[in-house]
Amino acid sequence: MQTATHMLRTGQRGALFQLQMAQRDLRNSFGRIGLAWSLATHDVKSRYRGSVLGPFWITLSMGLMVLGIGILYASLFNIPLAQFLPYVALGIVFFGVMTGVINEGCEAFVLASGILSQTNLPMLTFVWRTVFRNLINLAHHMVIVVAMLTLYGYWGKADIPLAILGVLLMLMNVSWASLLAGIASARYRDVPQIVVSIMQFAIFMTPVFWLPDRFGKHQVFLDYNPFYHLLHAVRGPMLGQPVSGLTYTVLIAMALVGWTLAFLIFARTRRRLVHYL
Amino acid sequence: MTGASITCTDLTIRFPVYGADAKSLKKALARAVNVGGVLGRHAGVTDVTALSNVNLRLGAGDRLGLIGHNGSGKTTLLRALSGAYEPDEGTIEVQGRIASLLDLGLGIDPSATGYDNIRLRGRIAGLSSREIDERMDEIADFTGLGPFLAMPVKTYSAGMQGRLAFAAATAVECDVLLMDEWIAVGDADFQKVAHKRLLKLVERAGILVLATHEAPLLKLYCNKVMKLEGGVASEVVDIRRLDELLKT
Repeated sequence: MQTATHMLRTGQRGALFQLQMAQRDLRNSFGRIGLAWSLATHDVKSRYRGSVLGPFWITLSMGLMVLGIGILYASLFNIPLAQFLPYVALGIVFFGVMTGVINEGCEAFVLASGILSQTNLPMLTFVWRTVFRNLINLAHHMVIVVAMLTLYGYWGKADIPLAILGVLLMLMNVSWASLLAGIASARYRDVPQIVVSIMQFAIFMTPVFWLPDRFGKHQVFLDYNPFYHLLHAVRGPMLGQPVSGLTYTVLIAMALVGWTLAFLIFARTRRRLVHYL
Repeated sequence: MTGASITCTDLTIRFPVYGADAKSLKKALARAVNVGGVLGRHAGVTDVTALSNVNLRLGAGDRLGLIGHNGSGKTTLLRALSGAYEPDEGTIEVQGRIASLLDLGLGIDPSATGYDNIRLRGRIAGLSSREIDERMDEIADFTGLGPFLAMPVKTYSAGMQGRLAFAAATAVECDVLLMDEWIAVGDADFQKVAHKRLLKLVERAGILVLATHEAPLLKLYCNKVMKLEGGVASEVVDIRRLDELLKT
């Protein structure tokens, strides 16, 4: 049994105490990581209850989008389908993970208000729940990825361990963004719309549907786009493209700075979060 | 066994209540830009002192009834004991496993079946999936809902939801049970079994804190009573002095 058997809580004791409490929340959320997983599997199951294909419905619609955009843009830009289709497919699938974790992060705390207002469950459990839910969805969408890599013979070139490292770096980054989105959305109810707009803007500014090699001297647009680095670290190795040291430097630095900032804000607002809801 | 205990010293809880304006980032930004404008900086935010200087000491076997008008702080005290609200001043110490039945909605997913909701609640209460499977028959039996458990919870009546929530929450051996008002859900049959289960909890040297307006319920379950008025608590008195407390 993991239920609290002893609790000692004291009032406001300054910033250091708040930080310790936030660390305790983090520890407890990892201690009960199985709970986040159970909540996530429940979410997926209940969202697709009664439908024959389950989450594969989303996979199906995503697959159709890949085919539509892939074939259209390939002929518009005169790019061979064998090169462009897998590129777009991986782009849409993995950008979808980022949008999913960040957009759904907005409601992580809001939807859990019933639970949070009568238990002492760790808050961060609900961030991990969002991440896990999107990982479960990704597992379904991997059908598209595997099909593309097989169909166009990328398995020889693909560097899977490096791609997995890319996925981990992506998760480390989108999870802090998800936490921040969750805190901000709990406090300000118009934040989710803003977050959705930002993510929509990002998908068009990032080479998801188009190839980055057309940039030439405007390369800066890529170098300063965090989403490009996030996506490239996953998609590059799978398609046998080189990933530069700059990308890894950006991702690691962003994860460190982002988590520090997000954790400090979390420590500052943790006690108040339940009252925001 | 070590007995359960609850100790609150000088417990004060204040929290901001946000109006519709204060919940909009756009309006907040507009206010920040428009420094010294007509709108105050904290427009729409009201600080409420929900509890002030509450002192409470409960030991094994105590069954405390909380009385007081709506908004007097009963629910806030229960939420604070559950660990959801942290004190602004003073301390709370609770020893023992806590089960809170403050809101029927805890972990209840209306579109999921009764079985799924029991599982969800059990996981939130700290049971492992295997422990839940082991107890599922017993819990299902206790709800008395039979074949309805395979149906979505949104098709349940309030009484049925109450049965489900009560059965699932008390399936975990808890030492401290926090309940708000709604114990009266369910029909006479269910009241009887629920009553038995509550008595068992008390026999195990647990603690019950129950907020209710109904004097008969208080007399049935509680041996002590405390009155809250505007966040200020009265002394904890014996249940036999309930009438005195109600009059003041």
